[in-house]
Amino acid sequence: MKKLPLAVVGLLGALALSACGGYEPADDEVVIGSVHPLTGALAGQGEMMHEGAQLAVDDLNAAGGIESLGGDQLVLRAGDSKGTADAGQVEAQRLVSEGAVALIGTYQSDVTANVSAVAERNRVPLVIDVAVDDVILEQGYEHTFRIQPNASSMGRDGAKALAELSAANGKPVRKVSYLHIEGAFGQSVHDAFAEEAEKEGIEMVSEVTYPATNFTDATTQVREALAADPDVLAVTGYYPDSLLIAQAIRALGGDVDAVYGVANGGFDDSAFPADAGAAGADVLSANYHYAATDERAQDIRARFEQKYGRTMETSAMLAYQAVVVIAQGLEETGSKDPEELRDAIAGLQVEDPLLEFGGPIAFDETGENENASVTVMQVRDGRIEQVFPDQFKTADIVYPVGR
Amino acid sequence: MTEPTSTAAAPEAPPDRGTLRRPSEAVVPLGVVAAVVVAIVLVYAVGDRATDLVTQSVVTGLLLGGVYALVSVGLTLIFGVLGIVNFAQGAMLTMAMYLVYEMTSSGGLPVYVAMLLAVPIMFVFGVVVQVALLNKLTLSGSHEGPLLVTLGLSLLIINVLLMIFGGRPLRVPGSVDGSLEIFGAVASYERLIAFAGALLVAAALLLFLRRTSFGMSIRAVAANAEGASLVGVDVRRIYALTFGIGAACVAVAGGLMAPFLSLTPTVGEQFTILAFVIVVLGGLGSVTGALLGGLIIGLVQTVGALYFPGTGSLILVFAVFVLVLFFRPQGIIGAAS
Repeated sequence: MKKLPLAVVGLLGALALSACGGYEPADDEVVIGSVHPLTGALAGQGEMMHEGAQLAVDDLNAAGGIESLGGDQLVLRAGDSKGTADAGQVEAQRLVSEGAVALIGTYQSDVTANVSAVAERNRVPLVIDVAVDDVILEQGYEHTFRIQPNASSMGRDGAKALAELSAANGKPVRKVSYLHIEGAFGQSVHDAFAEEAEKEGIEMVSEVTYPATNFTDATTQVREALAADPDVLAVTGYYPDSLLIAQAIRALGGDVDAVYGVANGGFDDSAFPADAGAAGADVLSANYHYAATDERAQDIRARFEQKYGRTMETSAMLAYQAVVVIAQGLEETGSKDPEELRDAIAGLQVEDPLLEFGGPIAFDETGENENASVTVMQVRDGRIEQVFPDQFKTADIVYPVGR
Repeated sequence: MTEPTSTAAAPEAPPDRGTLRRPSEAVVPLGVVAAVVVAIVLVYAVGDRATDLVTQSVVTGLLLGGVYALVSVGLTLIFGVLGIVNFAQGAMLTMAMYLVYEMTSSGGLPVYVAMLLAVPIMFVFGVVVQVALLNKLTLSGSHEGPLLVTLGLSLLIINVLLMIFGGRPLRVPGSVDGSLEIFGAVASYERLIAFAGALLVAAALLLFLRRTSFGMSIRAVAANAEGASLVGVDVRRIYALTFGIGAACVAVAGGLMAPFLSLTPTVGEQFTILAFVIVVLGGLGSVTGALLGGLIIGLVQTVGALYFPGTGSLILVFAVFVLVLFFRPQGIIGAAS
């Protein structure tokens, strides 16, 4: 009888060991860890971003892998953050222990903050595809890089662009009401926008916030924001809430020159024009955006749609771009050492970015992309078009919007 | 706000439930309604907010409350009769919405026709769940067993939906566009229809419970399952059908809400907790209570948002809930009626 428990313990131990072993990269493989919310409320986003990264890996491998490493193949390994910071942290640690030389991720700011701490501790570079909060890179981390503009720069650039485009169309904005989601994201974008707007001589007439959960009717909040009689109603939020807001504005017959999304997760989503119908017509959105004027980006989007059967949103393009940045870093150093890769990425100049940025991707000493910038989009005839600045425009702007 | 204090001042309702229609039975609900009306009048009079804004928030609150009530009436039956804390209620709501989505987008049916078709499907689903998964546990008197089963069921539903439809927000196509003006406040037709639907469902359920022999059996089982079985009621069958009716209510709710919500596999979850609050607030097993509770919570949330923006309004909802539990733990409409 005594031997049986011992055997069981031995068996369990063996099982545990084999479970720990997990993945062992082959000699001709370079592993990139991708941490995104693959289950939970944000699963749709996370899955699409992971697919964007996978497409990049496939493209690079088809083109001969990493040349300076003798054609070694890239391998993308998935980590599921489940949309929570804890799970994201555990998954990032697992991927690093299983041989990832770099990480990408994670769509959410709080998750990214934890993952960047893991990256720093393990001295492995993390290239953020989507995560907006300024705070992430204010920790003095040396291993975290961000391709997209941060919250405050989007708020700032959003205000600047609004002042410029309204003046250029003969109806300068004087008063703005701001409607945003509660929490760090909405608040930080709003604060940066308000600060810049006031410099531009725009008066911020009201600020209305709404909760991130249990928000299923926007009528009262929109009415409150419209009560101050603004020229423009600025909105920062995610997809479902932004859709509710657009519908409420239409129902209330909001008489404004424009509805203007700032870092808005809904207004420039390709599903928005169809979902919102008449409520979405001519809505403006200042956000980072895939390079609609660039043929390479168009080709990637077309192939993505063919392969995965859905439209490639900007977030997935950012995931693609993040893999390209890491691959270029590997190409530069010719080494699989994460520390050397980190140094290479820090000194990189990625020409011809797949996003509509004013210049090549290059990281400053805090890890932010120096040339990250926002583009203004508008819903025109059921499509998202780039309308401002002129160099990136795919259609003419309508401003003020006749409502 | 003012509601809880006045409910406290109302005469104590007798805790026993034997006799029907005592005069005091109507006092508490009426008192609560009066208190809500007084609170709204106070907001108008001394609330320091623009009149049209208050009107809008009251209208929005009532319509939102109707939606909450729709989700809650099914839950109150399951909770009140079976004593099951059904954590899958939100997931079942989501499932119904995806059913409606599938029928409208692939089948080309109008939304409200799809809703009518979803009702029997969800009913059968509910019956099957109760018979196959829950009856044994419910009959053994276990409380945590069914709770865990429904929790597991909700995870299962959410992830199967995620697998089939992906997580990107979807939208039910083609519905009644436009809106109506009520005293200067705007209400969209879709939400008005949902509100009317909530009233209809509540009325139909009440009639069913009061007037049919089958409804009588359900009430008998709710009052005393053992006694009911002694006089020849098939308790298992009643349990299964009650869960089915609860699921059918959710189908109506899902169909009526689908036109104005973005569908994601977790869209129903946000209603689960609020529905429990409403069910307890209204009184376990009471359809009228769920309706009343839903409207009150809707009003507290939207009118409260004028003073406590963002999450503040939700905190207010839970504050009202705690106060009601403290002063009247059996809920607005006492026992299962």
